[in-house]
Amino acid sequence: MDMPIYYTRAEYIETDTGNKVSRRATIAGPQNIILGGKTIISSGAIIRGDLRRTGPGHAVVISLGRYCLIGEGCVMRPPYKTYRGNFNYYPMKIGDHVHVGANTIVEAATIGNHVEIGKNCVIGKFTIIKDCAKIADNTVIPPNTVVPALALFAGSPGKHSVRAVNEDMKVTFAGQYVEDLPESTQEMAEAYTKQYYTRFQPLPNER
Amino acid sequence: MAPNVEYYCPCLAASPHPPPPHLPSSSFSFHPLHSLFFCEECDAVRCNRCVMVEVSGYYCPNCLFEVPSASVRAEKNRCARNCFHCPNCRNTLTVVASDPPEDADARMSPIVSTTLGEPPFFLYCNHCRWDSAEVGIIFEKPTGLAAQLQKYEDSAPESLEFERLKEHFEPYLRASSSSALPAASHHIHTNPITAAAASALARDIPGVGKYSALARNRIGREKSTQKQEIPDYKPRVEVGAASGLSAGGGEADVEYMRHLEMDSEVATLEQRWGNSWVSSLRTADLKPMRIPLQAKKSKRCPSCRHILIKPEQKAQSVRYKIKLVAANYLPAISVSLPHAQAALEMMKRSTALSKSASVPGDEHGAAAGTLLAGKTYAFHLAFTNPLYDPIQVRLKKAQVMPAGEARRPAFQVNLPSAAFPIAAFAEAWEYEDDEEDVFALEEEDMEMDGMGRDGRGRARTVGILEKRANVTVVGGEVILTKEARGNAKFNMLVSYTYRSDDPEPADDEMATPSRGHASSRAPDMKTFSFYTVVDLGPVVPRDESRVDPD
Ligand SMILES: [Zn+2]
Ligand SMILES: [Zn+2]
Ligand SMILES: [Zn+2]
Ligand SMILES: [Zn+2]
Repeated sequence: MDMPIYYTRAEYIETDTGNKVSRRATIAGPQNIILGGKTIISSGAIIRGDLRRTGPGHAVVISLGRYCLIGEGCVMRPPYKTYRGNFNYYPMKIGDHVHVGANTIVEAATIGNHVEIGKNCVIGKFTIIKDCAKIADNTVIPPNTVVPALALFAGSPGKHSVRAVNEDMKVTFAGQYVEDLPESTQEMAEAYTKQYYTRFQPLPNER
Repeated sequence: MAPNVEYYCPCLAASPHPPPPHLPSSSFSFHPLHSLFFCEECDAVRCNRCVMVEVSGYYCPNCLFEVPSASVRAEKNRCARNCFHCPNCRNTLTVVASDPPEDADARMSPIVSTTLGEPPFFLYCNHCRWDSAEVGIIFEKPTGLAAQLQKYEDSAPESLEFERLKEHFEPYLRASSSSALPAASHHIHTNPITAAAASALARDIPGVGKYSALARNRIGREKSTQKQEIPDYKPRVEVGAASGLSAGGGEADVEYMRHLEMDSEVATLEQRWGNSWVSSLRTADLKPMRIPLQAKKSKRCPSCRHILIKPEQKAQSVRYKIKLVAANYLPAISVSLPHAQAALEMMKRSTALSKSASVPGDEHGAAAGTLLAGKTYAFHLAFTNPLYDPIQVRLKKAQVMPAGEARRPAFQVNLPSAAFPIAAFAEAWEYEDDEEDVFALEEEDMEMDGMGRDGRGRARTVGILEKRANVTVVGGEVILTKEARGNAKFNMLVSYTYRSDDPEPADDEMATPSRGHASSRAPDMKTFSFYTVVDLGPVVPRDESRVDPD
């Protein structure tokens, strides 16, 4: 049940607030990134805190809450757009107890608390994911999508819709609502993410 | 698949005993604990199959606007703001102006393009690049698009026919709703329109009433209270011909299909599924869809009608005014195979040394957790007590034997026969962070079980293995015969005894009302029993395993 997940002590840096950041992760612009505490950044993850809004002063580009997990090989990039002729990046805010599966690309604007995102997903620019939502593995969420609270979204990998006008272009169905999640999703996500953090520990023979 | 435990809801069965686990029907009666509810009034587990569901509020899943019930009807259950599905890929469409954007990215944002720009406006999909101009839908203004599209939908022949049908039944409905109201309240799912349609159908087509659940409830009443005659309805759209008007169907479709060059010219079922009315077969005719509304739901106990789930009004709130979930009443049970965990442990330590830490893959777990036919394995059941009082738990294996079949069971299960205690739940456990001791304990357990497996330590394998906080781990064993096949799966009856008079912990804001059971003054022990199914995983036949030297 509570099987430990081991890492080699040398690979992870542990902060005062219990964040564990892999030395094999790329943290660009660390001064613009906030980690809430007890959050794990896995190896190979890329966090682009350097892509900040133009202009003077200090700016938070990416903020992550407590008990989050950024899986191996994930890319977290703030969303951007051109507004009134000016190209700009916009901040990304992620709540507590959010797990992001391996190799997923996130360009969301906000992600609430107790959200689970599967592996190999693409979360498009300016996406808003509300509390206790879940994105299944291999789902593509197109830009500007809103995922409501307690909703499960999934794509249809393998199923393609073909445009009549452009026969060469195959298009995957956008990730969409599948079903409501159980009423106890919040408690489960909280227990799971806390337990995950406890299980995530250095190899015992290194202690 | 990892071993797991599911809980029984008796709603599908006539008897209180669950079906034997090897029957396919078994899986419909068992559910994960977190998906179940608990009715205090009936003292019974309820599941999503049996609870009564009521809509407690509507909202648009895209703009998150909370739609008052009055508008829901007029707007035909779809969003009346600027929310549309791409008919091609189901992405949300964006309103764009027809003047060329300064750069490609401007098209990606809905906020920008709607306020500026030149008419005409159209809907554009930034996922598959479909746009509504292709099907001739353009707008002079970037606002009120839903109303314009709804006008389109409402002018469909089927839609008009449906309106006329409703009008036709209107006088009858008014009469019946006033006379049948008190009786109708016992069946909240029956709305007057469906009821009227059902009874009209039952009258016109002999035998149909027998098969309709709605009619079954109403027909008795119908005979006694309602003698009102409804005049015959003359449809304006003939059945079958309806689709001939604009939407294809019949000869027209056959003709169209004959001249197909690409299969993609025909819209897929998924693309047409969400339409309110029959639509054209052609991909080129697909229309944008107003986004269907979602509902927040309340749930009631099917037998006493007490509310089990009542969400907060606000659409995006994840809080509940009432939430009676089984996880707050029944102990949570998780099952594990120590021999599999030990193997997994070894594997992970070696991989962690070689590369970085990684989440244990299911494939590895499956290989390591193999159950070989003809062998005996220990398994662990960890019970977590959700109550603020200690409980005593007793386990009993339900009979696996299918009635009437004199087959030898493929495996035998030994469970601890004595009752065992589980300490009370206390919030403090949650904040305890020094769980390293816990892991140390578990490692010892594994070694202990290694001994138990070869027969010497059997007494220690079956029984209490560990007690910590509000968790008690007990061991059981499964003896597989040489002929064992399929999953080692058995039904287990769990009975727990609790004090039903505990005082409510006053200062604890996290306490749900459920955790302190309703106090009844006199100290009093109560017992609650429920069935579970324990699945230890698939058994691998002996022959295959003979290859590797034991
Ligand atoms: Zn049920
Ligand atoms: Zn809307
Ligand atoms: Zn599309
Ligand atoms: Zn009840």
